[in-house]
Amino acid sequence: MIDDATATYIVETQKCFEDLKQVASQLAGLLVLAAAGSKEALPDHPMLVVAGELYREADDALRQAQPTERARKHFGHLARAATAIGVALKEAELHLRPLGRGLDVDRVLIPLRAGYTELERAADALPGFEKVSYERACCGGRR
Amino acid sequence: MTAYSLWVMEYAAVPNYPLSGLVYGMHNQGVRKLPYCYIVIKGQGQLAMVDVGYNHKAHGEVLANTYGVRGWRPPREVLGEIGIQPDDVSTIFITHAHFDHMGNIEDFPNATFFLQERELSKWVWTMSLHRRFRWLMGGIDPADMMRAVDLARQGRLVSVEGDRENVLPGIDLHAAFDTHTWGSMYVTVRNDLAANSQDSWVFCGDLAYMYENLRGHDPKDPEYIPIGLATGSQFNVIMTADEMVRSVGGDCYRVIPPHEERLKDLYPSRITKAGLRITQLALADGEKSQV
Repeated sequence: MIDDATATYIVETQKCFEDLKQVASQLAGLLVLAAAGSKEALPDHPMLVVAGELYREADDALRQAQPTERARKHFGHLARAATAIGVALKEAELHLRPLGRGLDVDRVLIPLRAGYTELERAADALPGFEKVSYERACCGGRR
Repeated sequence: MTAYSLWVMEYAAVPNYPLSGLVYGMHNQGVRKLPYCYIVIKGQGQLAMVDVGYNHKAHGEVLANTYGVRGWRPPREVLGEIGIQPDDVSTIFITHAHFDHMGNIEDFPNATFFLQERELSKWVWTMSLHRRFRWLMGGIDPADMMRAVDLARQGRLVSVEGDRENVLPGIDLHAAFDTHTWGSMYVTVRNDLAANSQDSWVFCGDLAYMYENLRGHDPKDPEYIPIGLATGSQFNVIMTADEMVRSVGGDCYRVIPPHEERLKDLYPSRITKAGLRITQLALADGEKSQV
């Protein structure tokens, strides 16, 4: 059973969770393009700006969250996810822009993986947080 | 001659899937079993696959509980039924980047993966859009993206730009842009290895879910009916259906939708101890039947 205060916490942090997941996806996507040598992997890719803005929104929302005792574990994972993804973002901003395809992807990928793992743990800690939006894949007929 | 053995390997299934999700417009017309399958292509000294399914560790519980996906078995067990192992697979063609088609790349440590460059770059572009466009991003697992980074670094991710002939002998890749996804592709196997093949097969990914998509409801008066889900245009889906059917000489049953339960009515098959079906489309010269 989820108490009212925890339910409120869930609703208030869902967007933060989604935004962090989105930033992780954006960075991972940029890394794939760079690592695969895609012609789209340009140093001035607008994604980094978008990711930065989204990250700041998520970080602000996280600072305002008020976890209940029931939500404390979730909040811990979310906070660690935000920290690690923030590191990945900073590394990407520092190194992806000037270097483009020459990027040492581990500088971004290692913290990114750590952050995403924390997001997955957060999703497992409380209901209401989806790792993948299954509805748009071919299994997506919700029962 | 028959160059390649071709098997459709079921690895999980949804017992009751709404028809409306598969064939455009079939609302309130019941449900059908939706098998999840990947394709094995063996011959000419090659072991290749079309798609790799999803990783149950990451997604299994949610899929089982929310969508009724049942019976998932790992590639080692599924492929073991025909005497091969994931480590033996050297080439994998990913028809599109949905998690249930490319979600298990880590189980194939020695394979090189072919994927359309547009599939990657458009997904990434989509991610830069405002949250209100998030429908466009559905089905993509960020973890798959991170695994793809590793593939690329190891030189095991080949981003294909458009069509490519003879990726392996007699095997061609065809782009189907802005259809089911931004950069979907289908795979043609010319099983006599002839340029103007009389023995072609198409592996269509999700460009068709069922034969209704390829020949309508009345096979005597065929028509193309789009799939239930397209990120791109239904016009493109229909034109691609026509292209695929033409490429196999007009016989739509040589276009193989991996989610089509009725393949068993067309080709020899068997059920494994785990309750999963193996359908055998062709046997290479000298190869032993597995059904």
